[in-house]
Amino acid sequence: MADLFLEIVTPSKSSFSGNVISITIPGAIGSFQVLKNHAPIISTFEIGVIKVELLNKAPEYFATSGGTVEVLNNKIRVLADTVEPLADIDLNRAKLSLERAKHRLENRNVEDINIARAEAALARATNRIKLVEKYQNDSSL
Amino acid sequence: MATLRDIKGRIKGVQSTQKITKAMKMVAAAKLRRAQEAIVNARPYARQIFELLSHLATEDDLANNPYLKNKEVKNVAIVVVTADRGLCGAFNANIIKEANRYIKEELGGNANVSIFGVGKKGYEFFSKRDFKISGKKTGIFSSLRYDYSLEIIDEIIKGYLNDSFQKVIIIYNEFKSIIQQKIVVEQFLPIPVKLIAENISYPVALPNYIFEPDQKYIFNYLLPKHLKAQMWRILLESNAAEFGAQMTAMDNATTNAKELIRTLQLKYNKERQAAITKEILEIVSGANALKSA
Repeated sequence: MADLFLEIVTPSKSSFSGNVISITIPGAIGSFQVLKNHAPIISTFEIGVIKVELLNKAPEYFATSGGTVEVLNNKIRVLADTVEPLADIDLNRAKLSLERAKHRLENRNVEDINIARAEAALARATNRIKLVEKYQNDSSL
Repeated sequence: MATLRDIKGRIKGVQSTQKITKAMKMVAAAKLRRAQEAIVNARPYARQIFELLSHLATEDDLANNPYLKNKEVKNVAIVVVTADRGLCGAFNANIIKEANRYIKEELGGNANVSIFGVGKKGYEFFSKRDFKISGKKTGIFSSLRYDYSLEIIDEIIKGYLNDSFQKVIIIYNEFKSIIQQKIVVEQFLPIPVKLIAENISYPVALPNYIFEPDQKYIFNYLLPKHLKAQMWRILLESNAAEFGAQMTAMDNATTNAKELIRTLQLKYNKERQAAITKEILEIVSGANALKSA
């Protein structure tokens, strides 16, 4: 049986490489799941959660800030700007950056800020916190 | 003539300098190893994003995409990548020299040239002279992060798309080996079409990809990412090359110090022997004078 091979790379390192059952990706026009023998697809994805289902193991979750995915001949290549495994997320740091982004957006008329950047930071922080709060318990066995 | 004490003082001084250069060499060696690892880690992403781009490129894109299309060149931006600090031999000087040569020979003077300084040394050189500065990013090499690459590219893309310059050349040190850096002059924008065209690995029809949202969008989404990955690679290369150059420079300094200490030590010994001989002579001739009296 041919396997479904997944590789997740970011600019700073290769974060995951191995065979998987499926992967769920927060695609640009809707979240989608890739199983074996999926049709070739190239899609961008946004800030959200990548879920990787593994054989005989608990699924792994990654917080990502966007990127592209290519599926071809049972090979999945995820090129992400950043990915963070659930276990590596620092909840306190995420909460701090959430506060910071909120503060910036609230004072947008006072300070000279890059609104798009602050909004992206807000979305990233929210994403991390949501991920941790949702899955922390069932993966920290 | 130097007295014994003077020479001893100098030996001490050179010895402590030698200790410092030795330590700096070891620090550079440790940092170099990390920098090399970073390059290796950055490779898969840069390669794959480029492959993906090549899969996606269409004839139309190659001819008309703003990042790929050759425009009439009125102004050229030169990105000069140097280190933030010295003490690394001719590392920075070589880049500056090459940039000057390029401006003079290939572009015929600095009238339509602006400099984008990455790294303090190069920026300082050009900002003090008669050059237009289109941007700078300094003090980044002490703790290199991917964000810096994003910031540099965002600024370059902005200038490129609003027509401040129509061509971007980048000059940097490539890491060949610990003792060897290669100066590279590359056209950064427009992205040389040849590069992508050469890499289109589908003489056979493209597999029937589903595109979400669509091919054009993804292509345009990936191009800036490709540039960022490129810039990141260049920063890492330059960083590793800097440590390599620093290591070599400090190694040379240590060897020189050793040689200097040897010469001084020899001089010291000779002086000491001369002093002893002189004293003995004095005593003997004194004794002789007493005897004959």
